[in-house]
Amino acid sequence: MRRGEIRATRVWKRFRADKRRMLLRDQLERVQKKLAHSVDGAGWRWALRDVDVVAQPGESLALVGANGSGKTTMLRLLAKVMYPYAGAVQVNGRVGALIEVRAGIHPDLTGAENVYLYGSLLGVRRREVAKRFDDIVAFAELENAINRQVKFYSSGMQVRLGFAIAAFTEPDVLLVDEVLAVGDATFQQKCLDRMRAVLAQGTTVVFVSHDLQAVESICERAVWLSDGVVQADGRVREVLAGYRRTVEQAAEISGPAFGFMRVVKSELRGPDGGSARSQEPLEVKLVIESPEPREAEIFLGVSEGTATPIFLVGRETLFPAGETEVRCMIPYLPLPRGRFYLWLGVFEQTGDLLPWHPVSQFDVLGPELVETPRGVVRLAPIELASTWEVDSR
Amino acid sequence: MGKAVTDLGAGPPPEILFKLRVRFLNAVREVWGARELVRTLAERDFRVRYKQAVLGFAWTLLTPFALMVVFTIFFKRVANVDTGGVPYPLFAYLGLLPWTFFSTSVSNGGQSLIVNSQLINKVYCPREVFPLASTVVAAVDTAISVLMLCLLFVVTGFLPKPTSVWLPVMLAVQVTFTFGLTLLTSAVVVYFRDLRHVLPILLQLGLFATPVAYSMAVVPENLRVLYSAVNPLAPVIDGYRRTILYGTAPNWELLVPGAITSLFLAVFGYLVFKRLEPGFADYA
Repeated sequence: MRRGEIRATRVWKRFRADKRRMLLRDQLERVQKKLAHSVDGAGWRWALRDVDVVAQPGESLALVGANGSGKTTMLRLLAKVMYPYAGAVQVNGRVGALIEVRAGIHPDLTGAENVYLYGSLLGVRRREVAKRFDDIVAFAELENAINRQVKFYSSGMQVRLGFAIAAFTEPDVLLVDEVLAVGDATFQQKCLDRMRAVLAQGTTVVFVSHDLQAVESICERAVWLSDGVVQADGRVREVLAGYRRTVEQAAEISGPAFGFMRVVKSELRGPDGGSARSQEPLEVKLVIESPEPREAEIFLGVSEGTATPIFLVGRETLFPAGETEVRCMIPYLPLPRGRFYLWLGVFEQTGDLLPWHPVSQFDVLGPELVETPRGVVRLAPIELASTWEVDSR
Repeated sequence: MGKAVTDLGAGPPPEILFKLRVRFLNAVREVWGARELVRTLAERDFRVRYKQAVLGFAWTLLTPFALMVVFTIFFKRVANVDTGGVPYPLFAYLGLLPWTFFSTSVSNGGQSLIVNSQLINKVYCPREVFPLASTVVAAVDTAISVLMLCLLFVVTGFLPKPTSVWLPVMLAVQVTFTFGLTLLTSAVVVYFRDLRHVLPILLQLGLFATPVAYSMAVVPENLRVLYSAVNPLAPVIDGYRRTILYGTAPNWELLVPGAITSLFLAVFGYLVFKRLEPGFADYA
């Protein structure tokens, strides 16, 4: 195995479902059950089932999935903090883990003392830490506070300190769990930049985050975990598309949102009444039923699955009692090839007449989205036609 | 691929179950590699301990001193222990030093995995470093207390005998026994938290079951070997007194059984620790 390589194969991990209960009474019950030959399977909960996670040196891998899907457990196994129940976990080289940034930081020590403590926890020699000390302090922006006890730091300062130590001690593998959420926007950007720099140096990065945009900007590959099982493993855009889709489906299942009004029919038509095409007109036809006449604003949005639309259009509309047909024409659809979702909501000043919810999904035909250069975050997948002129002088 | 046929509901096939292989040499090498971490952790414990105390590091000296005063007043006056012509404060202090080392190490080290569960859950390092750091802290405490002992020698005008060269033998037994029990306790406490509350009581009992305030002569002659095998600290303390105060060699008949027990306990403690180690992060 090369330095920085990760190879976790057929990993299983389970936890006690009744973890906190170690009382004598429960123990006796357990013994009693065992004596009665009943299977002791109910007390365990699978956190990971037959999971493979492989990464080459220098690769950036994302773990995505809903809360409780096993991402952090997988990260802990990779960090060798936990042991699997079955399967093999091999990580070659020194691991810098940021599973919870404040973990290694002791509140009673000063920032400087903590740099050395955390550094040696990550397995870095004191001499090396001393060499990078100024970089770490400068990155964490703690020049004026480094000799103060950490318990007097703000939470953002603590996170900055933790991230700076882990990122500047040059690990072969850097594991980052949903930690950037604590810092402010500027610092998040700085961390993402630092992760890219670390990647450029050949460090393997495993990144867990719910911020899918950040994931997309850092990682080439993604593994999607769902309920402890690998749902998809592949290029980040494809995996994330699949993940967003289930998020949307879950939203649909959790409640076909019916409010005061009701969607009777919805239809999407591309040019010539066919399917939607990139950079061509699109027509959305809706029939909405209202029990009483109302004046309200209707909004339409297109998203990749989540409730956050890529773009939004809306207008003031008068709904008489009964059914109303609403047509919306978009002369130029700025979307690339892929699957998208149409979201709809009708709002009055005092509240929702029809809550924001997905109405239908549709496929767009056309060119693939332009790949972003490494280190550039694209906010929304929008495809625009462009003409170029290049003159040499 | 083989994955498709795996029934996820049934659990993993038995042939891929994870087994932790304990390789002693590897483990030792790993702990050696983490020696800086042990130092840093010990340093942290020291700094944190005295960070907000007015007297600061003076406490390391004051605690054994206070105990010695208490011993001297009560046992010398009340129990009237026969020390064979040696000043009682010296006699008591030589018992107190190994005992304090032992009890500090076991009580702090025993909780070290729980206290550091934050770290154990999030950062990888050889788990042995936590109890080891506690033992190191106790050792430094003891070293500082030895300064007190030197002062006592000066004050009483009593000089250590040349047989003091035997000292490393007792020290080896003492450290082996202490670290073995610290390892064992720290691992068991993770799973059996009640021990945490029982431990202070047991240590209190241990103080009376060890010849700290009294001398080995109190124990009936035919029971001394058994006593030494059960409580290795007894022949250790007896050995210190013999060599440093009385100018005789240690009583091998007692020290050897104590050494055997210590060694056995250290190996047993280490094996238990390793056996329980995979679950530390799950339970701590």
